Amino acid sequence: MEAVTNNVYHDKVVIRLIQFSIVWALAAMGAGVYISAELIWPGIDFGQFWLSFGRLRPLHTNGIIFGFGVSALMATAFYSVQRTSHVPLFAPKLAWFCCYAWQLLVLTGGLSLLAGWNTSKEYAELEWPFDIVIAVIWVCFGVVFFGTIATRKIKPIYISNWFYGALIIVIAMLHIVNNLAIPVSIGKSYSLYAGAQDAVVQWWYGHNAVGFLLTGGFLGMMYYFLPKHAERPIWSYRLSVVAFWAFTYSYIWAGPHHLHYNSIPEWVQSLGMVMSIVLLAPSWATLINGVMTVSTAWEKLRTDPALKFIVLSLAFYGLATFEGPMMSLRSVNVVSHFTDWTIGHVHSGALGWNAMITYGTFYFMVPRLVGRELHSVRLANIHFWLALAGTMLYIVSMWAAGVSQGLLWLSVDNIGELSFSFKDIMASMAPYYGLRLVAGLIFLSGTALMAFNLFMTLKGQHATRVSVPAVDPAYGVS
Amino acid sequence: MSGLSLHKKIEENAGLLIFGILFVSAIGGLVQILPILNQDSLSTATENTRVYSAVELTGRDIYIREGCSVCHSQQVRPLIAEVERYGAYSRAGEFVYDRPFLWGSKRTGPDLHRVGGKFSDDWHRIHLIDPRSVVEASIMPAYPWLADRDASDTGNISAKLSALRILGHPYSDEDIDNADADLQGIKEIDALIAYLQMLGTGYSEGDSS
Amino acid sequence: MGTEIYSHLLIRSLYQPIDAFQELAKVEPSPMGVLFRYTIWLLLLPPIFSLIGAANFGWRLGADEPLLLPTNSLVLISIGYFLALVFGLITTAIISSWMAATYGASANFGKHVALITIVGEPLAIASVIHLFPDVFVNLLVLIPTMMWSMYLLYKGVPIVLDTPPERGMLMASSLVGWLLVAAVSLLGLSMALWTLGVGPLLGV
Repeated sequence: MEAVTNNVYHDKVVIRLIQFSIVWALAAMGAGVYISAELIWPGIDFGQFWLSFGRLRPLHTNGIIFGFGVSALMATAFYSVQRTSHVPLFAPKLAWFCCYAWQLLVLTGGLSLLAGWNTSKEYAELEWPFDIVIAVIWVCFGVVFFGTIATRKIKPIYISNWFYGALIIVIAMLHIVNNLAIPVSIGKSYSLYAGAQDAVVQWWYGHNAVGFLLTGGFLGMMYYFLPKHAERPIWSYRLSVVAFWAFTYSYIWAGPHHLHYNSIPEWVQSLGMVMSIVLLAPSWATLINGVMTVSTAWEKLRTDPALKFIVLSLAFYGLATFEGPMMSLRSVNVVSHFTDWTIGHVHSGALGWNAMITYGTFYFMVPRLVGRELHSVRLANIHFWLALAGTMLYIVSMWAAGVSQGLLWLSVDNIGELSFSFKDIMASMAPYYGLRLVAGLIFLSGTALMAFNLFMTLKGQHATRVSVPAVDPAYGVS
Repeated sequence: MSGLSLHKKIEENAGLLIFGILFVSAIGGLVQILPILNQDSLSTATENTRVYSAVELTGRDIYIREGCSVCHSQQVRPLIAEVERYGAYSRAGEFVYDRPFLWGSKRTGPDLHRVGGKFSDDWHRIHLIDPRSVVEASIMPAYPWLADRDASDTGNISAKLSALRILGHPYSDEDIDNADADLQGIKEIDALIAYLQMLGTGYSEGDSS
Repeated sequence: MGTEIYSHLLIRSLYQPIDAFQELAKVEPSPMGVLFRYTIWLLLLPPIFSLIGAANFGWRLGADEPLLLPTNSLVLISIGYFLALVFGLITTAIISSWMAATYGASANFGKHVALITIVGEPLAIASVIHLFPDVFVNLLVLIPTMMWSMYLLYKGVPIVLDTPPERGMLMASSLVGWLLVAAVSLLGLSMALWTLGVGPLLGV
């Protein structure tokens, strides 16, 4: 490794994290497509325990969240924190440790899920040895990130770093509290909480993993890359301050809407519902801030694929953050709970928002990181339409499936007898599952195009050495 | 001090920012979770709810290992259609020995909270090994390996019971001593069926709760 | 200028959309003229098709038995459907012309109504599939059509509203965001009404 001087940004680790992120995206989306096919042709697990739906599904969700998502968040956090602090990464060796240790964790954790080490708590399925490793790496991530901020040459801490900071702090808190357990063997433990209490703790974690990782973390991405692309500051600084604190405060309360009509006290359910609706305000305030930033700075914009992805991701962010509070209304939730509508809602966020903003960010960063043009703009434009078509098809087919399920399950005739058997309703889902499979394939093929495109862009190139710019003494830390 | 000038302090001081985020985000959790953890009615068993036997607990751990809760909920909501389809709605007191809870978030297959006693052991055995031989339209995976593996290989059962006893489950010394013997000679599928057959038996109409 | 060329544009937009958009960019149609001479008639198609289909065959949500409702509730639902479409189209046109200031686009309201009509036209025509009231078959036809409509929106906004492609793309994405939210609100609203007792019986 060449010697890195003190005044050059550490971008190699960023490139490596992007590469890993794309690999996990392909693997985990591939697993998703496979399990969606298993729901149509259950025989394709060939009687192999490690291909069984119940084991592949956690692999799919964990692969996307921790493999694809967290790698992308680490990459963009490392990239932007240096550029908003005007210093190279603090403890670069530790950053490299985070990078590789995390990949090893995702790989071995994924294999452990296939082996059946599974706590069964959603998005926290990994067993206790992995939970400890996650906590250690997470602390290292925090040291690198906050260390860089502590050594910054710019006095104010930029907005994107608040969100990345919240990601690191809140996820650490959630992760530790929710995973407290008594181990009985290397691959098995019993939760410290039982029954209804465990349910409330788990959805406090589950909902806010979505909140501070998949929403907040990626908003950090938006707050850095959107103004960067538009070459102008964020539209309203005041709005971003208010929205950030309101978001951080109110998201935490919304978890119990995952447990409507379940065996938990009603006050918790109602509180969760009300706070979910309140949450719409900060979510959309941030949306407006992002949209207005690009909309009022259009003179500087070149319509490249990167921007198209980021702007479209905001449309889906708007959808997902509206749909969520709506589904938390008890009268809607009574139909949507336990159905494929939930799956559709998750994917309007995961495909439309998380994946698309990440794709846009990668298309933005990779050419800049190696100082050459994107290999093919045309391929990226095709990817844009594949991603949009895949997401729309996915969402709409799951809306149809979920609404049908919900209504048919609850449907009773004039004398109060159930109108349909569960079996018949389940059997009627096959066509929707078929559409969803096609949607997944379309989206995955777009991701594969991007992987190829970025691979060709990176091929044979080294990270450009970007020097830290001189800092106006007026902003320097005294 | 105006709001924005206070904020100027926070955003120029990493320590204050970290503390601010931790403080603001912790409030909601504390207000919801602490009362829930201290609410006795949520940790008091219903009359007929008992701890899992060594065999049932092994079955439950197999249920968790195979990810059954990904497609089957264990939570009958208090809705007319739901009670009619599955049985009495779920009470918090029935889940006090569930670590972790297995309510689930998706019903690709039917709810299982009241499945205990609805089908014979033989039906379950055939269904688990080859679901489509009994329910033609089923999309459930087959679990042939459960019939081959010994239940005693699933994990150290006496260690499991001891761990749960630390957490307050009323297992006697005798229960723990006999646990290994209870699993002798049975397969994983037998343990899983024993668990399925006791599911939802912690409540019957007329119970007070 | 009048709305005479508009019927020809509606047809042309089906096979040469870019040319049709360029022609539309040159005229300043009157909003009421477009709305009442063309848009309303297109918006009548989906409810009529669905009324005929549902009355004769009953909607299939998936399970075996089709959902047959009495004719008068079908008529009511079709009227509601029509009003929802009209409401959706007009609000979209209003939001679009409201956004025009931000995106430096033409503020002529008639153009916005005309553009949204052309964008929605493929969907109105494809709604002929409502004659066969099976949810899955309808999705199969309407989702690809919807993708085509979205493509028309992205292509049409910069041309018709005379704004640079960069800003056109931003504006089209904002409209997509609005349409997604509108769609899901409709879904949520109908579920809430249904569980509160309007529509077929539910055991809640």
